[in-house]
Amino acid sequence: MNLARLLQLASPALPVGAYTYSQGFEWAVEAGTVKDEATALTWLGDQLEWNLGRYEAPLLAQMMNSWKVGAGEPALDARYLASRETAELRAETLQMGYSLRRLLGELDDLPAPFMAQIAVPPAPTFAWVWSGVATVWQIPPAEALTAWLWSWAENQVMAALKAVPLGQAAGQRILLEIGRRIPVVVERAIALDDDNYSNFAPGFAIACARHETQYSRLFRS
Amino acid sequence: MTARLPLPDPSPTAWQARLDLGFERRDAATILARRHHLGPLRIQKALYPEGPELCHAIVLHPPAGICGGDQLRIDIEVGADAQALLTTPGAGKWYRSSGQAAEQRVNIKVGAGGTAEWLPQESIVFDGAEARMRTVVDLAEGARYLGVETLCFGRRASGETFARGSLHLASDIRLAGQPVWHERGRIDGGSALLHSPIGLAGFGVCSTVLAAGFATPPETLTACRGTTSAEDAAQFGVSALPQVFVARYLGHSTEAARAWFVALWQHLRPVFIGREMAVPRIWNT
Repeated sequence: MNLARLLQLASPALPVGAYTYSQGFEWAVEAGTVKDEATALTWLGDQLEWNLGRYEAPLLAQMMNSWKVGAGEPALDARYLASRETAELRAETLQMGYSLRRLLGELDDLPAPFMAQIAVPPAPTFAWVWSGVATVWQIPPAEALTAWLWSWAENQVMAALKAVPLGQAAGQRILLEIGRRIPVVVERAIALDDDNYSNFAPGFAIACARHETQYSRLFRS
Repeated sequence: MTARLPLPDPSPTAWQARLDLGFERRDAATILARRHHLGPLRIQKALYPEGPELCHAIVLHPPAGICGGDQLRIDIEVGADAQALLTTPGAGKWYRSSGQAAEQRVNIKVGAGGTAEWLPQESIVFDGAEARMRTVVDLAEGARYLGVETLCFGRRASGETFARGSLHLASDIRLAGQPVWHERGRIDGGSALLHSPIGLAGFGVCSTVLAAGFATPPETLTACRGTTSAEDAAQFGVSALPQVFVARYLGHSTEAARAWFVALWQHLRPVFIGREMAVPRIWNT
């Protein structure tokens, strides 16, 4: 595996604007659900355990399987998009998908057939394009999922530092704990069969919906 | 592509029930052109409290509740330009299971220009139930759908919680064959998800309202956002995707959740169904 490629793909320096989104976290702070390091860890740990780990991560693994056998299955892209349940969550993945696809066009690194495939959907999701790049760069699914979840956690912690706010050490303690949990979540996600997928997270969905009309906000979701 | 819920082997005493309904537009009226049933699922006669264009039907499941091994399947087809509203006479009860899962599948197909409202009363999931609920809505271009699903975890009145068993949920809406809504849920009795702030946050009642096939006008979205609940502690939120309106409610009271839905419905029904709200009389009995 090319570790440098993986680090590049998961880096906050990847210019897709991930840092502008909080995925409902900012509302959770506004509502008082998240108010300190412990409650921030609860929110993020539960998101990892009950939402990302049982829906987004296993679906990402399915996407990688489909890219591996030749073409990313467009139905998986459509399914992921249909699972984004608020306007802001949907806009987030479409904007980041658009930015990543445009960036790849300027890198001149990926094979032409792959570039042609990702050009097909008018508005691909970030997860679908990202899973394709990870596959083309020959990153094994377990490592790719680890990086995906890590980069999500890092981004959420950056949001927490500003929104709660939390100190740098508190943020690093949260990342230590999330990092400790990721391997178990990844192992389960790769083996999870379709019948056990779960993105049912009404508290999260309500936070994302309420964020749309939050009066004072730093983030776009 | 979509996940299939496991079909359990039915026990000898389990009910296999099917209901197959077809609504069609004839001249100015929607008629119930097809009505087949197998086992204990029925509908009362077609009702027209709003005039001939829109047909109301009440889906009955005469056994008091759903037991482990039961398999219920409801197919509703609303033809082009037909209008149908379906509800139930009372709460659905999912009893404790000795092991086998009970399953309910609802398939709703709506033709161009048709509208379907699927408004069952709440589903009470008893402690120890093994419940599988799946709803698939297929809309033709120009078809509309409005639905509500209310889950109640445990018999709240007696203080029961959902400590054992499991509930699997699957909810899909397709518009002209394309997925526009896709949700899967697996909620185990006693799971930390029941208390997680991202999950049920300690609430026992969860409602989801979905309306599809139409872009929600900004003023309708604003009006829906202004809807409140009689329960001080309740949490709720609404959002509008390009072809789907979605609203979620978490609270302790099914009555308050119902009132919240009715308030939303009042704003949504004129734009999605083209009619003023008309609360089914059976809800008041």
